[in-house]
Amino acid sequence: MLIKVLSVVNLGLETVKVDVEVNLANRGLPGFEIVGLPDKAVGESKERVRAAILSSGVDFPPKKITVNLAPADIPKEGSLYDLPIAVGILSSVFQFSIPDKSLFLGELSFDGSLRHTKGALLMALFAKEFGFSNLFVPKDSANEAGAIKGVKVFPVENLTQLAGYFLKRKNIEPVIYKKVLEGLPQPAEFDMKEVLGQEQAKRAMEIAAAGGHNIIMIGSPGSGKTMLARALPGILPPLNETESLEVTKIYSVAGNIPPGGSLLTNRQFRAPHHTASLAGLIGGGTRPHPGEISLAHRGVLFLDEFNEFPHNILEAMRQPLEDGYLTISRSKGRAMYPADFMLVASANPCPCGYLNHPKKNCACNQHQIRKYQKRISGPILDRIDLHIAVQPVDTTEFSDNQKNSELLESSQAIKQRVVLAREMQEKRFEKDSIQSNAQMKNTHIKKYCKLAKDVEDLLRRASLKFQLSARAYMKTIKVARTIADLEGAEEIAISHMAEALQYKQKNYEPA
Amino acid sequence: MLKLKNMEQTVKIGDERYPKLLKEIGSQAPKKLYYKGDWNDDIFENCLAVVGSRHLTSYGRKITEQFVTEIASSGITIVSGFMYGGDEAAHKATVRAGGKTIAVMPCGIDIIHPHYQEELYNEILEKNGLIISELEGKFSPVYWTYVKRNRIVAGLSKAILIVEAGLNSGSLLTAGHAKKYGRKIFAVPGQITSDVSKGTAKLIKEGAEIATDAKDILKYYNISSVNSNSVKPSLNFGKEEQKIIEQLKREPMEADMLARTLGVPAAKIGATLSLMQLKGFINQESGKYYVN
Repeated sequence: MLIKVLSVVNLGLETVKVDVEVNLANRGLPGFEIVGLPDKAVGESKERVRAAILSSGVDFPPKKITVNLAPADIPKEGSLYDLPIAVGILSSVFQFSIPDKSLFLGELSFDGSLRHTKGALLMALFAKEFGFSNLFVPKDSANEAGAIKGVKVFPVENLTQLAGYFLKRKNIEPVIYKKVLEGLPQPAEFDMKEVLGQEQAKRAMEIAAAGGHNIIMIGSPGSGKTMLARALPGILPPLNETESLEVTKIYSVAGNIPPGGSLLTNRQFRAPHHTASLAGLIGGGTRPHPGEISLAHRGVLFLDEFNEFPHNILEAMRQPLEDGYLTISRSKGRAMYPADFMLVASANPCPCGYLNHPKKNCACNQHQIRKYQKRISGPILDRIDLHIAVQPVDTTEFSDNQKNSELLESSQAIKQRVVLAREMQEKRFEKDSIQSNAQMKNTHIKKYCKLAKDVEDLLRRASLKFQLSARAYMKTIKVARTIADLEGAEEIAISHMAEALQYKQKNYEPA
Repeated sequence: MLKLKNMEQTVKIGDERYPKLLKEIGSQAPKKLYYKGDWNDDIFENCLAVVGSRHLTSYGRKITEQFVTEIASSGITIVSGFMYGGDEAAHKATVRAGGKTIAVMPCGIDIIHPHYQEELYNEILEKNGLIISELEGKFSPVYWTYVKRNRIVAGLSKAILIVEAGLNSGSLLTAGHAKKYGRKIFAVPGQITSDVSKGTAKLIKEGAEIATDAKDILKYYNISSVNSNSVKPSLNFGKEEQKIIEQLKREPMEADMLARTLGVPAAKIGATLSLMQLKGFINQESGKYYVN
């Protein structure tokens, strides 16, 4: 007897239909085989399916069972085929028919219940596109799949319940699409008002958040670089619907959505340590998995101790920084992952860390300092729009008013400006394929950043005086555009351009 | 032409061309000097040694630039040791001011040390400066060559200006040589808490002359400053600019500090500072702004 159950395989962010063909032969010795390029996790599915069926109180059929995962030439991985295989076997035992246009995905537990399984969102998207109307997924993954309108998602608790449903003895209520709550506060470790001093760095963070600009902070240990970065999520604008879907897809493939979770609404803040591997950061593995830079898509990638990261990793980030996506090619497949993130980097100015420190003396010689600073290559620095020097703050010199964090601007207040600036950008780039000022290419700059004569004169003079490169010239215009957006101004004024010049790349050579 | 300029040439102690002042140091005078550039007797006429710490502070750099620019444009040759920090600042300011400078190398004449100052090295030669050394060819710089080089720096000069120096520093050794040879010593005062002002403070205690203006040194050479009034910016500051200038005159500050002290948002202070910098009212060095 041959039964066909449908499931999917996710190759990176692409989804392909998989036919799970279950054959129960009366002839031959009883046994259980899976063919069709299964990996270890798929192979072990035999044991889970057998135990789960037995725990559900059903006798495991003493037949020669062969499962084929077609197309047979695509490697399959993961535990998602437990459910389709079990459904195939059960349908032969109970003689129920499987409804048309149904897809199955889920990992079984030995007790017959279903566990949260990665990739549910991608399957739902695939179902919508190719006209599959019923999805059977673990209950914990149902909210994730249910975020897609137009498909019926059945949250399955265990095999008994599912068999009951197919035998029309029980009912399973499909998940109804709920529009995710908007405007949830972005969780941040610190509020901007907790950061005392650092006026200019805070302002730079605001600009970075508003325009999606990459930013680097250079300063001594204890100057508050990490605190500033950790406060950043609190002023980021929320994800819009398309962005949210893009990000959730990556998280779904990576298995990073918690049980019961649905669409992500917050911009993600990723802070990998500098000992992370190339595959962990950029993505890869024998089968191409998304790396930290993709998990930071539309969010923030915070690299603390930037120049401690291995050279090859930093250089590998150059292309995604420019293009906003990355193609990972491996012998076992190729995957394209979006990686359009905002880079927030922090670094010490020298090996000892105390160059230009107001109180401590730097113990490094010029040769060491040069060597240290050279670890970050020019092309990487070139892709960073905002450069900030962070000085340690001596709060004992503050007046009581300055020390009172309640008098400082809160993250919420800053966020309001940021959100307005983003809205201006969304309107501006409606017909373009970009979202933020930071992504502008030269053609966009020409179109959207027309400079009045006096403003252009100012920039020309500055570029002569500070010896700005052509790229730095363009970067300054982009930053000025964001500053103007923060004020709600259509035209870039002198004050915007002058402020933008504050954040140009600094010469950190010892004084 | 350039090839000829870079060709190795020597001057021996018996030669007519040998600098007279250097000969005066007697048995310590080098027997032979290797040089690159145009050996012109004029260049040795009025020499001032300018030395400073390798860990020059932004204050030290600013003072070096200010003094050297004025002194070098008055025709005095600036002698220094081509090390990074104080030496480099002195050479650079001279070259920029179009003055003459002599770099006394701590290594063989064919080595550029430190190598990353190659650009400055070439600039010195292009602007009719001299590179000299008592060491031959590719002699590597070692601990003692730096110390021996200092006596030539002192020996060539009528006076020596020490901008910043730590205790037990090479700059103090140079000052010691200058004292022994009977040359005038000028020291720039600094904050007594700064490590690199402790050496200069010591010199002042021991009787060095305090230099608070380039004119103090020019007076010693009997020269009146040629560009006593370099283009001073006009005084029509805005109200906020005026306040910033007042603060910065007291003490160089970062943008953050100014924003706090004046109670102005960082965005606004940033814009104003950029504009003032472009107008030439103020300048920035390692994060701090100061009045030009």
